[in-house]
Amino acid sequence: MKRVAAILLCFVLCLSLCGCEKKPDEEQGVKPAPDFMPLTEIVPGRKNVYLIVKIIEGSSYWQVIVDGAKDGGDDFDCNVYYSGSYLETDWESHERLLDEAARAGADAVLIAPNDSVNLSGKIEEVYAKGIPVVLIDTIANTDSYDICYMTDNLMAGRKAAEEMLSLLKKNGTSESENIQIGIQVGATSSMTIIERLAGFFQYWSQFAPAAWEVIPDIKCNEGSVDKAVICAEELLKYPNLKGFFGTNNGSTVGFARVVKERELKDIALVGFDYSDDIAELIADEEYTVSTVLQKQYDMGYMGVASAVAVIGGEKPEVKFSDTGVIVVNKDTIDQEEVKNALLHN
Amino acid sequence: MKKDQNIGSPNEITKSIPFLRMLVVYLVVCGAGVAILLMSFDSLMRSHDKKLTGNICSLVTEKMNNSIRYMTISAENMAEVLSAQGTDDLGELYENLARSDDGSGYESIGFIDEEGNVYASPAELAEFDKWGLSDIAKLADPVSISAPYRSGNTGHSVFTIFTNYTYAGGKKGYLFLTYPLKEIEEMAFTESATKDTEIWLMEAASDNVIQCAGPDSTSIGGWNNALLSIRKPINAEFQDDYIEWKNKMNQNVVTANVSYEIGKETYTQVFSKIDFMHGWFVVVKIPSSSLSSALQTFRSRVLIFLGVLFVATVFIFIISHKRETAEKRVLENLSIHDPLTSVMNRRAFDFTAKQYLGKNLKSKGEASLLFIDIDFFKQVNDRFGHEAGDRILTEFSAALRELFGEGSYISRYGGDEFVVLVRNADKDNINRQLELLQKHAEKIKPCDDPQEYGDFVLTFSCGAAVFPEDAGDLKGLEAGADSALYTVKKNGRNGFEWCAGNSAD
Repeated sequence: MKRVAAILLCFVLCLSLCGCEKKPDEEQGVKPAPDFMPLTEIVPGRKNVYLIVKIIEGSSYWQVIVDGAKDGGDDFDCNVYYSGSYLETDWESHERLLDEAARAGADAVLIAPNDSVNLSGKIEEVYAKGIPVVLIDTIANTDSYDICYMTDNLMAGRKAAEEMLSLLKKNGTSESENIQIGIQVGATSSMTIIERLAGFFQYWSQFAPAAWEVIPDIKCNEGSVDKAVICAEELLKYPNLKGFFGTNNGSTVGFARVVKERELKDIALVGFDYSDDIAELIADEEYTVSTVLQKQYDMGYMGVASAVAVIGGEKPEVKFSDTGVIVVNKDTIDQEEVKNALLHN
Repeated sequence: MKKDQNIGSPNEITKSIPFLRMLVVYLVVCGAGVAILLMSFDSLMRSHDKKLTGNICSLVTEKMNNSIRYMTISAENMAEVLSAQGTDDLGELYENLARSDDGSGYESIGFIDEEGNVYASPAELAEFDKWGLSDIAKLADPVSISAPYRSGNTGHSVFTIFTNYTYAGGKKGYLFLTYPLKEIEEMAFTESATKDTEIWLMEAASDNVIQCAGPDSTSIGGWNNALLSIRKPINAEFQDDYIEWKNKMNQNVVTANVSYEIGKETYTQVFSKIDFMHGWFVVVKIPSSSLSSALQTFRSRVLIFLGVLFVATVFIFIISHKRETAEKRVLENLSIHDPLTSVMNRRAFDFTAKQYLGKNLKSKGEASLLFIDIDFFKQVNDRFGHEAGDRILTEFSAALRELFGEGSYISRYGGDEFVVLVRNADKDNINRQLELLQKHAEKIKPCDDPQEYGDFVLTFSCGAAVFPEDAGDLKGLEAGADSALYTVKKNGRNGFEWCAGNSAD
């Protein structure tokens, strides 16, 4: 009887252990990427381009890229399918989607790789099958791609620094005046953010007057707007503070809210991306504010255009194409290019 | 057999205090010794870390400098050769050179003429505008190097070397060669470095860094800023050390090192100037745990060894002390007690009684001294033998202990003489005790065989004196008691008498 009970207990334990086993994705709580969906009208006989984005749902930034790819598909006469992960860190989903695209007979793949290192092997594999690969938004650690469309964030950071110097001068700050600039970042591990920061410092060290100092205590809000507001307020303790630089949307929103709430009209604010908070300050004549926009629509649109060209046998002139940035402020907001860019933000 | 524990001796009084004192001193000395050893060791490790990091940094810097020197010399030699050819048409020369690949490792080659026209691919022309490369060319003396930037042609980070070039009979322009940054990054890899070693290229003016080696492979080749990536995580108490180190870099010092902590990990960081990239430095950052792992292991083992040694020493110390104490107690017992009867010997009694009386003299206490002599003891020995005599003495002293025990000091003064110092002067009570002793004594027999001992009855004579009534010191008491004893003996023995003729029997 005891032996039977022991065998039964072992069986129940084994069953419970089996029950604990989960698929890796479920284990990490990551929802697997959905299957490819048609983005354009699917017309038989047209070339099939597969787009893989970093975030498939709930991101206006990635939606603009998808919009650009859709317009590109329509304009360059190809079918575009798309999918993407739910999290920017889910590179395993991208790996699976690359396999699926190759199996589905993709004529070209557009991918914004979630991991430059871990995905390089799979990208090389797809490229080796003769499928043209166009990278968008992020470059991969491989040469096995045809062209990459992305923002050169180092240059974007330089533009931000240039704009900061311009705004400070516009505010009447003299070059001999001892002033300070406060910076906050959204993350310390984001390549995009740290390249913008490096670009800012590169330009600043070359062109800023010696008396104009960047506060060495760079704040990090870890992606939280509430924390971004706290970081901005912490920087207010510096007596000679005359400028704020936010390297990403959350940081910029945090600065904008503090500037508005405390009516800091003598502080120049330069940030990234276009939010309601920054738009409100740009619209208000009393504030000195600029924001830098990426041209992500172009990444999707030109990515599809290049994919179709490569399918047609053309070789891109360059491997890396900086889609550039647009500076939005009171002086530029009515310009046609800015209006167009804002339409796609 | 219960021995008298109320005995004081100079050795006994001070016996445990020196041991504790010695133990404390030993612990303090050991603790101080270990602390000094650890501090010296840690200091040695820190200097070892700095030295090793410095060596790695020098090695990496030398490799990088050699690599850059090779590139700049290549550019200068090429410019010299091309200048010697005296070409008039830079466009034609550019076309010829751009098509050829001489295997020197550069990605592209081009020219800037006297008027500032750039001869390069369309992608490179865009980069000249974007990064202001023509301005960097003007700094060539005889060579200048751009900061790294991403190449449109390859998507990789590159840098461009400019050198002076003469063409068309003396016109001054520039030759430029663009190299992949990887050429320098790869120089950072060294067998001496562990996987935790971070190697950076750092621009002093901007604090910008490019990681060449490090535990996170995704960061390699990417830009960062030292204020965020290197300085920010450093513990607050080491920020000033870092700033001092960075100031040396700003002052263009050739090399400097700093040690700091991030959390609980100690890092050593060294910079070395790169000769041909003005304002750029190689920075090597190594966690001590990785550098000193062998020394750390050694340190841990030494600590364990010292710990074991310490515990063993304390153990031996305590064991030795216990053994010594036990031996001392045995010796003390032997020196204090009469070996036959286990009551005190005369010397010990005199000492103890003097101490006691001395104390009582101050506190006005009382005591009684009894001189007891076994009657006709010599005859016992003669009639029954020495063994029987010893038996009588032993049993008599046992009876003394039983009757006077806790409240007295008992001693065998010699032969058949006993002396008892009773710690009170209650004569009635003492008299009762002596009467009981007489009854006890009657039961003491020299042997077990009644036929043998026959009518033998043990009696004793006792003289007593009271302190301080009869005398204020031991000698006086002894004289008083002896005088009373003499009276008892004179009166026929088997009785007891108090000094000054107070007979109770």
